[in-house]
Amino acid sequence: MVLLALVTLPFWAGDEYKLHLAALIGAYWVLIGGLNLVIGYTGQLSVGHVGLLAIGAYAFAILAGTHGVHPAVAIAISGGIGGLCGLLLGLPSLRLPGFYFAMATLAFALIVSELILAQTALTGGGVGLSVPGFPEPFDSPAGTYYLILALGALVTWLTWNVARRMWGRGLIAVRDSVVTAQAVGVPVFRAKLTVFVFSGITAGVAGALFGSLQSYITPDTFIFELGLFFFVCIIIGGRGGIIGPLLGTAVLTALPELAAPLAKLGTFFYGLLLLIVVLLVPEGIGRLFEIVLERVRGRKVDSMPVSPDLARLSAAVRADRAT
Amino acid sequence: MSSLQAREVTKTFGGLTALSKVSLDLHPGEVHGLIGPNGSGKTTLLNLLSGYYKPDAGQIVLDDEDLSAKPVQRRASIGVSRTFQKPRLLPTLTVLDNAIVGGWPHAKCGFVATAFSLPCTGHEEREMRARATELLHGVGLGHVLQRRANLLEHAEQRFLEIARALMLRARFLMLDEPAGGLTGVEIGHLSDIITVLRDCGIGVLLVEHHTDFVFRICDRVTTLDLGRVIKHGLPDEVRTDAEVRRVYLGA
Amino acid sequence: MLTILVSGLASGALYAAAALIYNVMFSTSKVLSVATGHTAMLGGVFGAWFISTLGWPIPIAVLGSVVIGGVFGFLTDLIAIRRVLARSDEHLWLLSTLALATMTQQAVALWWGTEPRPFPRLIPQDFTVGLADQKYWLPVAIAILMALGLELFYRRTLYGKLFVAMSEDAFAARARGIPTDRIRALSYVIAGAMGGLAGFAAGQLTFAYFALGLTLSLNGFIALAVGGLGSNTGALVGGAALGLLSAVATYFIGGEYQNTVAVGLLMVVLLLKPEGLFGARNVRPV
Repeated sequence: MVLLALVTLPFWAGDEYKLHLAALIGAYWVLIGGLNLVIGYTGQLSVGHVGLLAIGAYAFAILAGTHGVHPAVAIAISGGIGGLCGLLLGLPSLRLPGFYFAMATLAFALIVSELILAQTALTGGGVGLSVPGFPEPFDSPAGTYYLILALGALVTWLTWNVARRMWGRGLIAVRDSVVTAQAVGVPVFRAKLTVFVFSGITAGVAGALFGSLQSYITPDTFIFELGLFFFVCIIIGGRGGIIGPLLGTAVLTALPELAAPLAKLGTFFYGLLLLIVVLLVPEGIGRLFEIVLERVRGRKVDSMPVSPDLARLSAAVRADRAT
Repeated sequence: MSSLQAREVTKTFGGLTALSKVSLDLHPGEVHGLIGPNGSGKTTLLNLLSGYYKPDAGQIVLDDEDLSAKPVQRRASIGVSRTFQKPRLLPTLTVLDNAIVGGWPHAKCGFVATAFSLPCTGHEEREMRARATELLHGVGLGHVLQRRANLLEHAEQRFLEIARALMLRARFLMLDEPAGGLTGVEIGHLSDIITVLRDCGIGVLLVEHHTDFVFRICDRVTTLDLGRVIKHGLPDEVRTDAEVRRVYLGA
Repeated sequence: MLTILVSGLASGALYAAAALIYNVMFSTSKVLSVATGHTAMLGGVFGAWFISTLGWPIPIAVLGSVVIGGVFGFLTDLIAIRRVLARSDEHLWLLSTLALATMTQQAVALWWGTEPRPFPRLIPQDFTVGLADQKYWLPVAIAILMALGLELFYRRTLYGKLFVAMSEDAFAARARGIPTDRIRALSYVIAGAMGGLAGFAAGQLTFAYFALGLTLSLNGFIALAVGGLGSNTGALVGGAALGLLSAVATYFIGGEYQNTVAVGLLMVVLLLKPEGLFGARNVRPV
């Protein structure tokens, strides 16, 4: 049902502005979907992914714009560069304890900003760069929207697959109990690095899409507050889920557009939401819905005593040892 | 089949010697008790065997492989598993998922294969679910498979940890004070489970304070005091040993 | 060149002050607050407002800034720390202090504006005195005084000794009847007050600027990590090192690379001596 609505959105959205907004949400989601594995599942609190977004956007602008590389190839390369930068950032910083890591990602975002501003020849410095659009059939607003929708759907599918299988559980173990993760054999650092690189790739691709939507980028387009926004979307949407952060992204992007006073408050509002969620519903609003649903369904928590089925146990263990 | 061995291991923390030249052999198909007063080094020894600590001297050996410097994950992959004094579970996941995560070493599909939902992942997932379900029924948690782990009773948490440890295809299972907080009936169930595991060929190390429980089900018992082995042998031998009584059991 | 070094030292003193504040808060709560830099930002902004807009005499303004800082510290503990420490989720405090920091920074931006505004002269002095300019030596003096003050506080006063007891083993402290919640709140008030004072003293150097909060949290953290978590001497050394290095780098390769240089310093130190120059081996907050 929702899928149908998304696919037919250009037809019922009304004006081009709303279509652009939907496309923006999609572009953000390409980044946030990947980042969700890092923050929501592995518990690595990266506040600096805006730096990777910037790298992706500038890479795309330079490749497709200045050098005339075909946009499809440029998107792919932007993703690749994003992944590489994710690797370079992750290698030294993922071993650090939580606060140190968060600060390292903050510093990364600021450094990227600095470098973009300084390398005027490449990036246009403070003046910025214009970013080309996509070739037919994606050059119209609806076409761009469909491209972003497709990539967003891909990211959703990929991360959903990871989340519901063993990898998802392993990542949650890294997040909630490193001791458990080690005890069951999860290679903690390698797992963290893998999802971090993945999130770098999605951020790079998202950067290309985002840059194209903005059609002109400057260092100011990628302020730290944007990285904070991504982070907040995930925490508010709920860690350990895919739909939660997706809804979080949609709602938090659309909210300032729909409610003008909120737009004025801007980042203050995101900070306030974050604080409320952390203090009242730390697992996110997604979890809040789950709790409400459980109350409505009236699931009773009946306690029965533990009574082992020894025959079954014996059979299971012997079967395990036989293979 | 070879045993998991601690050979003359020594471990110090700062100035404190927690273990001094301690040796212990955990044979497959036996229940080996490890007792001693608080501070005698029982948990330290267990941490050395499972890989959370590295010995300052001596070795941890299995199958002629020196495990001493190898990480916890290496031991998990060769079937050395353990439970914890305070159960360590993943509170937001269901009981079933908590158990399934124990199958990690045997989940061979990589990140990319999982992301693209290649056939091996579906196959693996089904197999893991089936194994975990059987094990959970086996330890008596069949009625709470879908319950979130943070809602479990204490006994259920302990038994879940055991099921998770078994998912590793455990050859050796080390239990850190598993009877803590359990009622008499539940300790009886624990006893039955450990006996079944022993009969299936798993080597079980039982670190415990409930000495009646230990002497009842163990095949051999090692007693530690102040980081040294003071007595090792059959339960009756250890129970009646003068030194053990003086230091730990009381006259 | 000498101006560069002196200016770097002055900035470094502010970073050192932030590192001291981190230490005080960490000692009783084992928490590193993202809102650390914001205590100084508030001191600077409110100081400027008190003197320039409200026309308060300077001593009252100093007091005001210190009080504002202390209140902010108290609020940090009340809102972001107290409820969160009780929960088992280890990194909630990172989120809550981040939220508080964001809200504070943005609220100030909305009220004060996003442009850095000048901070008034505190002591009558010509603007052409060069190296002797108070904007350089005020922060340095305050940072050193704070470090000395903390030493005296920890060694000579009852409350200081309670802080030390809590930082070594909070659980044992509570078992011995020490009211750990109140001690922690007190430590946050003190830390916040220190921040207010430091921000006030450095106001002429940094200008009254809303964005100072986050950058000072970051730079103060780098000074802390370089010097070693838990060490006040380390805080001073780390801050000085960072300030001087940044200033020298600005002189030679341009100011656009300030953050890169700072983080570079951090990475080098962390690789060579992960616990920092004066840090103890096991003090890392895991």
